[in-house]
Amino acid sequence: MGAVTELRTVKTDPPWEGLEGSDRHAACMIAAREGHKGALDVLVAELTPLVWHVARGTGLDRSAAEDVVQTVWLALLRHVDRLAEPRALVGWLITTARREANRTRQRGNGQVELLPEVAEHQLSTEPMPEAEVLRDERDRKLWSAFRRLPARCQELLRLTVLAGRAEYRIVAERMGMPHGSIGPTRGRCLNSLRDLYGTRDQDGD
Amino acid sequence: MKTEYDMEPAERDYWLAQLTHLVDDLDPVPVGLVERAQFAIAIEDIDAEVELEAARWADQRPLVGVRSGAPGTITFFVGDLTVMVNVTRTGEKQRIDGWLVPAGEHGVEVRVADHGSTATTADEGGRFVLTEVPRGTTQILVRMNGGKPRTVVTPTVVL
Repeated sequence: MGAVTELRTVKTDPPWEGLEGSDRHAACMIAAREGHKGALDVLVAELTPLVWHVARGTGLDRSAAEDVVQTVWLALLRHVDRLAEPRALVGWLITTARREANRTRQRGNGQVELLPEVAEHQLSTEPMPEAEVLRDERDRKLWSAFRRLPARCQELLRLTVLAGRAEYRIVAERMGMPHGSIGPTRGRCLNSLRDLYGTRDQDGD
Repeated sequence: MKTEYDMEPAERDYWLAQLTHLVDDLDPVPVGLVERAQFAIAIEDIDAEVELEAARWADQRPLVGVRSGAPGTITFFVGDLTVMVNVTRTGEKQRIDGWLVPAGEHGVEVRVADHGSTATTADEGGRFVLTEVPRGTTQILVRMNGGKPRTVVTPTVVL
């Protein structure tokens, strides 16, 4: 499939050139196994948004989510020869990101033993960086409503946005999200978002 | 019959547009994260025989992170290994004092984006010192000898 007719092209183009979705991921994985530098970089560039939104969907702050993203890619580096089905990369990334994010959340604050001199300097709750972008009153309400959704809804709705885009069609397939249909679960999450938008956060605003 | 989750198409589109706004504008992928992740996995000398393990930074990491810009002590760990790292500014560069627990004479490498890497070996007490380390996007690797060889790598941190 994706037969390349011109030999000239075979020589110059990377093996994933012109491929999409799981074919493209599989070609990158196989190229990476063969030592092709840059094959994993392509996956990192194209699929980091997916890993990011899965991590953020679990409720991690942006700093912790950054670490999760990097840890997931390091895990892929470790598994590049072992992932039995390179075409299933998207599913593997989602599962690995969830697991890593949940591990980070469960560890939480204070689980790690701190040296006294470190604990002394430990920052109190850092303002979320996203506060900087929440200047608009409607944005604050939207964000506040979204953050009060169950984690499952937060992930599902984030992935709904990605899955609606051509380059993430594979996410829609993987998550069983038929194109053009929202379905009952996502519909309920969307309803909850609308309802929460109309109510105030307990912390006030 | 309408079920409880039915929204009018226009209303549904409105909320989907709100979600798109949230994903793209309110909670975008951090600037530079893709590059930092690419740097983190661009590790040379990965031996197929050596187990690669991703360490986690402990929660006090923001102390020395992008936001505070101040040196201090950070900790990372994986399995039974804990590594404490103290960073001190020395002019344009910095000095890194570290302590591996449990102790062992393991190889320690510090990679800094666009600045190559600096390596040393911990002493029998697990202590190591690296001087004149450039500042920037940094990753620490511990190459553990004895028993089954393994290499511990951290996510990058901006030092």
